[in-house]
Amino acid sequence: MNRMLAGSLVWLAAMLVAMALLVVPGRALAHAALIATDPADGAVLTQSPGKFSLTFSEPVSPLVLTLVRPDGSQLALTSFRLKDQTVEIDNPEALKSGTHVLSWRVVSVDGHPVGGSALFSIGALSAAPVAGEAVDWTLRAMIWLGKLFLYAGLFLGIGGAFALAWLAEERRRGQCFVIAALVFGLVGAPLSLGLQGLDALGAPLARFATPAVWKTALETSFVWTVLLGLIALGLALLSLAGPSGLRKPSASVALLGVGAALAASGHASAAEPQWLTRPLVFLHGTAIAFWAGALAPLGLALRQQPAEAKAFLRRLSRAILPVVAVLAASGIVLAIIQVQQPVALIHTAYGRLLLLKLTLLLFLFTLAAINRWTLTAPAVAGDTEVQRRMVRSIGIEVAIVLAIFGVAAGWRFTPPPRALAIAAAQPVSIHIHTLKAMADLSITPGHAGEVAASMMIMTGDFGPLDAKEVTLVLSKPDSGIEPIKRPARKSGDGTWRIGNLVIPLPGRWNARLDILVSDFEVVKIQAPIDIRAE
Amino acid sequence: MNKYLLAAGALCALGTNAALAHITLETQEAAVGSTYKAVLRMPHGCEGKATTAVRVQIPEGVIAVKPMPKPGWTLQVKKGKYEKSYQLYGETLTTGVKEVDWSGGNLPDEFYDEFVFRASLAADLPAGQMLYFPVVQECGDAAERWIEIPAAGQDEDALETPAPGIKLLPKK
Repeated sequence: MNRMLAGSLVWLAAMLVAMALLVVPGRALAHAALIATDPADGAVLTQSPGKFSLTFSEPVSPLVLTLVRPDGSQLALTSFRLKDQTVEIDNPEALKSGTHVLSWRVVSVDGHPVGGSALFSIGALSAAPVAGEAVDWTLRAMIWLGKLFLYAGLFLGIGGAFALAWLAEERRRGQCFVIAALVFGLVGAPLSLGLQGLDALGAPLARFATPAVWKTALETSFVWTVLLGLIALGLALLSLAGPSGLRKPSASVALLGVGAALAASGHASAAEPQWLTRPLVFLHGTAIAFWAGALAPLGLALRQQPAEAKAFLRRLSRAILPVVAVLAASGIVLAIIQVQQPVALIHTAYGRLLLLKLTLLLFLFTLAAINRWTLTAPAVAGDTEVQRRMVRSIGIEVAIVLAIFGVAAGWRFTPPPRALAIAAAQPVSIHIHTLKAMADLSITPGHAGEVAASMMIMTGDFGPLDAKEVTLVLSKPDSGIEPIKRPARKSGDGTWRIGNLVIPLPGRWNARLDILVSDFEVVKIQAPIDIRAE
Repeated sequence: MNKYLLAAGALCALGTNAALAHITLETQEAAVGSTYKAVLRMPHGCEGKATTAVRVQIPEGVIAVKPMPKPGWTLQVKKGKYEKSYQLYGETLTTGVKEVDWSGGNLPDEFYDEFVFRASLAADLPAGQMLYFPVVQECGDAAERWIEIPAAGQDEDALETPAPGIKLLPKK
């Protein structure tokens, strides 16, 4: 029975690897492109249309279709039909006058999602509504839960299996707990992968089972975490249920697999320098699994069979110091890389979660230190009262560890200050397209303060436009600031540039380009541009 | 009587207020198929600088243009093909003046001057609509371009540098 189980687990692992190798490099290069919309982008209609249509360069499958009304409220468009390359969407309500945004996100055959929006107006133009990014809290809760399950499986399950294989004398104590944790991990891993796909596409939870979602998920780096995690979980099960000769080696490989799985994706692993962060995440994850995994089996052993648990306690207390040192050292270095500046601890969501985690760690380390230096010696000597205290203390430690996992799973939603700093330096770009002229305007960096602007000018039908002069006019009527008007200089590569431009305030500005086509003809094109806070 | 004069004066002052800082034509209405004397009024230079040249683009349908020379300014015209042919006093016109330039002058910012040309408005110009004469005002190396033409439905007052224009009246 056990041998059969072991055999099937090996097969499962082999199949998962084969699947990943087949799917990951098989990405097609072409993406679907929008060819036409009805109503056309920028159209002004006299009455509310009965339906909308989007035509793409290849057949697509819609993920999210939303209509943003002039007041900014959103209407999910759920009734649509596919006709070759065209998506026909029913309009469920009579639209009021004003400018609407038809926002679409589709996935093409290659699994690559593309999104965009078309503006049209009923009756007359109004200010384009701002479509706020709605947060899908159900999806977020599910993602968080999936992560928590995965962490429970990796740390408590695999770490527990390792502790049972290497530290425990009597391996039946705590086995049920460890197997339960492994099952949580086996559920959490694929669940997390699917949710990752949903999140990457911005699709709702209802689309969990669609192939596009899983195809997308398989293209993210998270697939390696899940794959390595599943292999490690399988090896941990093998060490518990498999032949005794495989127990210790498979538990050891599984423990290393935890570190490898965590190093394969995530904020910290993505940070530079990679040669430092990935090994640190590996060490951090492996150390957590070693320590956290041993807690529950030790507590259960102490409660049920104090006499046999003594050897377990002695071995753990001997090994724990270097492990915790590695854990703390790798954690501190990673935190410094991610947070960069101490103020970010308070000012960013990521930093606040880190502070919360550190507070929980403080409690955990205090309890662990008391266990190690005050309780371990009498407990090993056979003091039953101390042993009972220790069981209680370990129970609390496991609870704190779970809380820490919960906090760490919350990092999934908070970009680290390091990434925020990179994002802040990114330019903000808009594309303005009219019949007479079109322009790509980039403002670098895309936040308030000292910036540079660059503009690429073309005719409305993508032809060259040899402008005599280009002037950028930035205005923000609601701020009481006079429009900022700057002439641009033509640079060698054909773009028009403005240096030393200061944008005094963040928010939505109106960017207008006055393009002097000939002595007597000026073309003015404009569009709103969102400037981030500094 | 005096009251009426005052009211008319106030109306004039208010009505032309927005246009005071812009380049305008003295006569703001003309019938199609008539002869029009265009008097361009230059209220100021370019942000304090003296005006050194005035260039006017002649729109399609404005034919047989004859500018008035100005002492101290070099007068030039650029001729070109009309988009179609026009009949004037039994003659068929296919080419003519497309641009009038007065250059080499010096009109300080604090002084006022007028630039004049005479032209025929073709009979088939659309009565009831506006006809615009884009003007480039040069002040040494600076320039003000009075060339903006309001888009359909756009308020002319919203433009920063509108082209001077006249309203076309029905043929008399």
